Amino acid sequence: MNKLDNFLKGFLKENPLFVSVLGMCPSLAITTSLENALGMGAAVFFVLTLSNFIISLIMSNKKLAELVKPVRIPVYIVVIASLVTIVEMVMHAFLINLYESLGVFIPLIVVNCIILGRAEAFASENKPLDSVLDGMGMALGYTGALVIISLVREILGQGSITIWGNLAIDLGFAFDFLKIQPLDMFTKPVGAFMSFGFILATIFAISNHKANKKAKEVKGQ
Amino acid sequence: MNKGLISGLVLLVLGLVCGLLLATVNYFTAPIIRDQELAVKLAALEEFYDTDNYTVEEITVNEGAIEAAYLLKNKTTDALEAVVYSTSAQGYEDKVKLLIAIDSDYTIRGYKVISQKETKGIGDQVVTHDFNVTGNLISDLASFDGISGPTAPFTTQAVLDSFMAVQARVNTDLGGDV
Repeated sequence: MNKLDNFLKGFLKENPLFVSVLGMCPSLAITTSLENALGMGAAVFFVLTLSNFIISLIMSNKKLAELVKPVRIPVYIVVIASLVTIVEMVMHAFLINLYESLGVFIPLIVVNCIILGRAEAFASENKPLDSVLDGMGMALGYTGALVIISLVREILGQGSITIWGNLAIDLGFAFDFLKIQPLDMFTKPVGAFMSFGFILATIFAISNHKANKKAKEVKGQ
Repeated sequence: MNKGLISGLVLLVLGLVCGLLLATVNYFTAPIIRDQELAVKLAALEEFYDTDNYTVEEITVNEGAIEAAYLLKNKTTDALEAVVYSTSAQGYEDKVKLLIAIDSDYTIRGYKVISQKETKGIGDQVVTHDFNVTGNLISDLASFDGISGPTAPFTTQAVLDSFMAVQARVNTDLGGDV
């Protein structure tokens, strides 16, 4: 697998949220606004890239790897927890609003299966550079997925798009034009599950359609 | 040496390195976080009183829900004119933190929620909800009006606990009977 593939596979082919369906708990909880999704994505990007780098650095040294092997899960957790705590402290100091809206889900990144999964499945068996690319791709794919879910939920639930802080687009006029109210349900957990389900269904429908087409073409030949 | 022991030592070293790193980051961010929390409190005090006219003295209290009290003394006459209590009581999700301002004649001047993580859309009304006690004597909480809805009783209880704690404490700071 070449480097570009390592980077790009996180976007669609192995998207952590839409294909592997990993780490759903924080993803569904925080996607109430675009701002939250971007903040969470940035935090995961930092943690995933660095944890992949450090872990593959440890595991690519043969001697060290042998020593670490029996205690590798605690080692991963120590590395990931330290990175997450750094993110949490920096966010608390400089991005207080985001810190408050993400709440408990920042410390919970420690046990996010995407990060632990990439550490065990990829970083521990590949070179540092490949692992960094993999981490970046996965994190960007995750962020993209969060953005899609949060866009659906925020537009339908609140009738606005909050890009960052006060930078927001108010879609109230569209709701006025249609003479309906934003559906408050979409900001609640039930809306999260519904949006996620519909998005997943759409993605599977498209990919199934494509696969069928391909199969027909092969048959026709 | 035993292999398992060496693995353990590697983990220990890694833990120490990470701990050191965290201590360093904390050293830089902790003062900023503390300043921010203080700034939020002072800005909230400003809502009740013009802090330019008062000297603010902070005392740490550890009674029930009360965490700290701010004694506001008039700058010219040096008379104690008000006490603002910083309280923290368990709500549904997390602690609900309030500032409760009491004038020297024991009336409730106002209150403000500084931090809360209550249920979105229901418990988080605590920020804007009028608990209908402003202007009452602190001894009279009969008109207290809570929030309704799922999980909201926990949130309401946190606010009520805070007021009750202030009720129990206020004589100590203002002196005399209510």
